[in-house]
Amino acid sequence: MSQHYLEIININGQASIQDLGRLNAQHLGFSASGAADEFAFLTANQLIADYHSITESDQRQRNCAAIEITLGQISFRANATCVIAITGANCKAKINDIAIKNWRCYQLKTNDMITFAMPEHGLHSYLAVAGGFTCQVEQQPWLGSFAQTQNEMALGFTGTPLITSSKLYFSAPASNLTRPVVPVKANKPTSSPTRFYARHRLTLRLMPSVLFLQMSIEQQQRFLAREYIISADSNRMGYRLQSKPEQVRLFDQKILAESLRCRCLLSMPVTYGMIQLPANEQPIILMKERQTMGGYPVLGSVMQTDLFRLSQMRPGEKVNFTLINHQQAQQQLHAFYRKFSL
Amino acid sequence: MQKISPNRMANKPKNNTYFQANFSLDIVAENALLLSWQSKISIAQHNEIITLQTLIEQQLGTYVIETVASYHCLMIYFRHQMITSTEITEQIKQLAKRHQQPVQLTDNNLSVDCIKIPVYYDIEQQWDLAEVAHRCNMSNDEVIKQHSSTIYRGFALGFTPGFCYLASLPDMLHLSRKSSPRTQVPKGAVAIAEQQTAVYPNQSPGGWHIIGQTPLPMYNTSNGQFNATINVGQNVEFYAISKAEFIAMQQGLSA
Repeated sequence: MSQHYLEIININGQASIQDLGRLNAQHLGFSASGAADEFAFLTANQLIADYHSITESDQRQRNCAAIEITLGQISFRANATCVIAITGANCKAKINDIAIKNWRCYQLKTNDMITFAMPEHGLHSYLAVAGGFTCQVEQQPWLGSFAQTQNEMALGFTGTPLITSSKLYFSAPASNLTRPVVPVKANKPTSSPTRFYARHRLTLRLMPSVLFLQMSIEQQQRFLAREYIISADSNRMGYRLQSKPEQVRLFDQKILAESLRCRCLLSMPVTYGMIQLPANEQPIILMKERQTMGGYPVLGSVMQTDLFRLSQMRPGEKVNFTLINHQQAQQQLHAFYRKFSL
Repeated sequence: MQKISPNRMANKPKNNTYFQANFSLDIVAENALLLSWQSKISIAQHNEIITLQTLIEQQLGTYVIETVASYHCLMIYFRHQMITSTEITEQIKQLAKRHQQPVQLTDNNLSVDCIKIPVYYDIEQQWDLAEVAHRCNMSNDEVIKQHSSTIYRGFALGFTPGFCYLASLPDMLHLSRKSSPRTQVPKGAVAIAEQQTAVYPNQSPGGWHIIGQTPLPMYNTSNGQFNATINVGQNVEFYAISKAEFIAMQQGLSA
């Protein structure tokens, strides 16, 4: 029985267990959930796979559950030796008060402390280990995934929320730990992710819905020309956007005409990245912890590789929209996963 | 089943929309297709939707991650690493073309396999029964009688695990959602909104009008499986129980 764990000593932000999500239980009403920033999540697992020389044909390490840390401010103590990878928002992590670099693997020894500060940019950081973390001993995945969904925690299927003194269990592959602490391949990250997280403005590429194509050119342009501010009540479930006040001064300039809005009354299945437009015309982009059904009109879907970036953006930062066709979006997502051998 | 008129087709964009007799097929994400029928609550149409859903799962299962049905839509999540959206669209069109006989529904279908849900219709706890009665201009008993004398159908599972959208509520009980949703709706709350009724499987926020509570759990789990009490396509009937019966059943279930 695995009794190796990291213990949360202090937590001031949010943290949860995430993998690529619960993709085949939406018909039962479960959120798909999953890592907000798949690029950072998959890179963390890639670093671990490279460290342990796990071959590309063994895909299990690609989707191992990692700890998703939101806004840093968390510390862990190791009760056993392990190799961890850290990626995502740069939380100026330290091991025993010695600064370490982001997008790298490190070895933790028994009683080592690893601390994460509040990141300057971005939101989510990932902490991965070989074989993945669970919040209970010998925990089995729930409907194919370990991902925790805030709205579903009370059901008790995916362990308990992460708090001070929570233990994150892993199985230590002790035999592998004789390898050098800083292997060459695992420590050559590109600098681009870090540069990317410092951006405060993002153009989101969207695949238009049938409803969008039924709108007049003027209405379409009105939506595409606006710059939106990410609202403070955005979260893993959805990003709420607000138009700048000067852009909506003429309040008769609706994006969606009433004649089109009234065609969208019945609840229907919704997916990752859909842009809902409630009657107040402030768009909501559905993120990983979205519900499975929605009743608002949908203007289109943001391509997934852009959603991974969006998930790292903070309230107050700005987005606008441009159109893309679904073939291009699909090709980009395909290429994205191929990089991670998925 | 009404066909889409040529006029409506002409208004539709050609580049990403395909037509069968009764539904349109749109690529809504890199890994998702949305099949849409007419925006209405109809048992005949819904039968067609879940029949096609079963066919797709049986015959294109290799490519399909899962499918989610609702009143007038069917979402299909597919493995985009295995098949392009254009290819799976074509396969679904072919499949629908090969199976064009709509399912004939008789009155007999409505009485078989009807799930019976006991409800303690309650005014003591200050939920919404009295307000619903007032707004619908009828007595509490009349609301109860109307709500419990209809056979409903499960049209969609969603919102939260095990929450099944049931329709259609008698016309007299149609009310829009509460203007401000409750932050806490109790487990087992039986609620109505517009043409729909449903049971909240767990305590959660909710904007529907609560008229009662059931002691019957809305799901069970065993061996890592989740089984909803009401599934899409099933028939449901509510019947009134007393407070004493509610408490006895609740205790019996937890014993």
